[in-house]
Amino acid sequence: MGKKVLIVDDAAFMRMLLKDIITKAGYEVVGEASNGKEAVEKYKELKPDIVTMDITMPEMNGIEAVKEIKKIDPNAKIIMVSAMGQQAMVIEAIQAGARDFIVKPFQPARVIEAIKKVAEEG
Amino acid sequence: MMRDEYLGVFIDESREAIQRMNDILLEVEQDPENMEAINELFRILHTLKGMAGTMEFNTMMTLCHRMENVLDEIRNGRMKLTEDIIDKLFKGADILDQMLNMIAEEGTDELTDVDVEGLIGHFESILGQSPGGGKASGKEEKREESVEEEGESKEEEEESLPIEVTDELIHVAKEAEKKGFKTYYIKVFLKEGTQLKAARMYLVFHKIEDMGGEILRTNPSVEDIEDEKFDWDVDLIVVAKQDTEKLLKALSSVSDVDRVIIKEVSLEEVKKQQEKKEEKPKEIETKKAPSSSPASPATSKDHDKKKKKITQTVRVDIEKLDTLMNLMGELVIARSRIVETLKKYNIKEIDESLAQLSRITLDLQNIVMKIRMVPIAYVFNRFPRMVRDLAKQMNKEVNFIIKGEDTELDRTFVEEIGDPILHLLRNAIDHGIESKEERIAKGKPPVGTIVLSARHEGNNVVIEVSDDGRGLDREKIARKAIERGLIDETRAATLPDEEIFQLIFLPGFSTKDQVTEVSGRGVGMDVVKNVVESLKGSVSIESQKDKGTRVTIRLPLTLAIIQALLVKVNDLVYAIPIASIDSTLKITKDDIQVVQDQEVVVIRQEVIPIIKLWETLQIPHDEESESMNVVIIRIGNKKYGVVVDTLIGQDDIVIKSLGKLFRDVKEFSGGAVLGDGSIALILDVTNLAV
Repeated sequence: MGKKVLIVDDAAFMRMLLKDIITKAGYEVVGEASNGKEAVEKYKELKPDIVTMDITMPEMNGIEAVKEIKKIDPNAKIIMVSAMGQQAMVIEAIQAGARDFIVKPFQPARVIEAIKKVAEEG
Repeated sequence: MMRDEYLGVFIDESREAIQRMNDILLEVEQDPENMEAINELFRILHTLKGMAGTMEFNTMMTLCHRMENVLDEIRNGRMKLTEDIIDKLFKGADILDQMLNMIAEEGTDELTDVDVEGLIGHFESILGQSPGGGKASGKEEKREESVEEEGESKEEEEESLPIEVTDELIHVAKEAEKKGFKTYYIKVFLKEGTQLKAARMYLVFHKIEDMGGEILRTNPSVEDIEDEKFDWDVDLIVVAKQDTEKLLKALSSVSDVDRVIIKEVSLEEVKKQQEKKEEKPKEIETKKAPSSSPASPATSKDHDKKKKKITQTVRVDIEKLDTLMNLMGELVIARSRIVETLKKYNIKEIDESLAQLSRITLDLQNIVMKIRMVPIAYVFNRFPRMVRDLAKQMNKEVNFIIKGEDTELDRTFVEEIGDPILHLLRNAIDHGIESKEERIAKGKPPVGTIVLSARHEGNNVVIEVSDDGRGLDREKIARKAIERGLIDETRAATLPDEEIFQLIFLPGFSTKDQVTEVSGRGVGMDVVKNVVESLKGSVSIESQKDKGTRVTIRLPLTLAIIQALLVKVNDLVYAIPIASIDSTLKITKDDIQVVQDQEVVVIRQEVIPIIKLWETLQIPHDEESESMNVVIIRIGNKKYGVVVDTLIGQDDIVIKSLGKLFRDVKEFSGGAVLGDGSIALILDVTNLAV
């Protein structure tokens, strides 16, 4: 069965792009959120298998969101979506429990690889 | 590959982002210490950069990146936000906008006639002056260049490990070995071109620690790894309980890891080999968490930001909405016809259903109309920036106030109404607002005020541009009008101010002696008037010397369905838009007087010219009866009466175009199918009176 994915990004464009890439690879995108706060709420509601999380977002940034989601579900599988030059924040996110990260601009193959790897992990 | 598919969304969203950028820049210009705004600006550019990069618009990405870097320096307090930087950021926003246009038209972000490189260079030089910033931004590029030269210089070294083994290290390893750990030398190669290498490496470390292993030593040092001072490979001394195979599998599974070399080692042996070399005591690196960069405290502020209303939207092609509106119109007509037909039979049971049907169609009609409505903010948004630029260009100080930007109007107007408003704003800045000195001399506040407002008024949207400038100069306008032969001297002397002011709407009228770049090209106000009237609206002007000028534009709420008064001449039904009707009244033949060859009626001391519809339309008509119905039309400040046979009543009508064949017909703006299936022509009241 296709794993459920939640996409978090403040840019609708990015969400659309990710959604297409992820859907085409046979995963099911069960929801989208445009900021960290929404992400946390959607996580509770949808219980996705995998989350892609943008870092810079209004209301609540991606790192805070990772922390919040990890509080709810320590096993949450979150992949950070970062831009260049966000090294420190990515590291912070990993400390907070993010499993992997992809860097914008990304190649579809790269996105799928990350999701696949994280999905296969227990 | 993915470009075409996403181009539309990319452009839309980027446009919004750039608009927002302009707004915030204006805010920041007023208050350079506004960290919240600077943070948001940073965030917007960051998002934009990501999107541009994904779409492979590299120049755009680079520009965003540089602007973002500058803002990063500012928000971290390493640089001050000077006026020059704000100007450059504005410039950047402009160029980004131009790039978007270019992308929309030509599919490339390369601008031919704009010095983008120059601006990028400028941001770089700004960064260069900053203590921390130059390094931060320049670093990334340099690193990427050096990569190719050094590439594969390091390979596995067989004999001695590329990590210095100290006694402490051996000691720690021995302690661990007692607890069942094994000591490994691990070399991790990242794929060439991996981005955020340090974070990637961190993920590797994290993996080892997750498995219960511990990293005793790294080469290069953890600090250097954090600073990305390594090529693609890192050497590690690790203690772990797992066997080689397990470790290999775990580490290879980390994304972007190219390959991993793992060897179980005895550190004592290694040390012996290294013995000959000089020994330098070093602290043992344990699993020290890399410190976060100065960027993170700033971003944590992000979520303190005031809550913004998030609305969920669906983007719909406007054509679909037009079709929907059209169908809606047909439905309204069909309903009217059913009601009309069934009225004859007077069936009780059906009345209720009919009432319900009417209610539902009305609700539906309102909703469809609302869907087509957008806040006028769409039009107004770009003005603060333009007013700022224009005022600066003309050396005037202007306080620009926008009111009622939430007012909604039909989507069709949005594209059309922008230019006329812009023109009015230009006029206000150029002709209206005086120079600072002049204002002080007049005892006015030194900074001029221009107010752009919008509101709903009945079935109209009213847009006003007012300024507190010098006002229109009656004498000057009159003189010009005489010069141009638009009016003769005696008439000019007798006309009230109001009508003199209306003269500026005539084609080819411009009073500014010196033509400036901004306004006064002589195509001004008549164009405004034409556009507004083509939208079935009206424009009027009020002015008082040294107090200011106010131009008022009235637009109907929508162009598709209007309320109209149905009138009859002979046996033909005509529709007059309610919005342009002032009142209706009954007069007798004796009420009509003739002034200067013009038939008029006097209503409440007001002299109103009248026309007889059958005369204007040149249709044969019987003897005039004693009493007549007059519909008083109001266009702007002007009124006139239209004499008709009978008034039928008010109804919603759906406007249908008369088609290309009749586009030269000035008297009618369209046709409508009535409830009984007959057709009514809609009078274009702006073109009826001479």
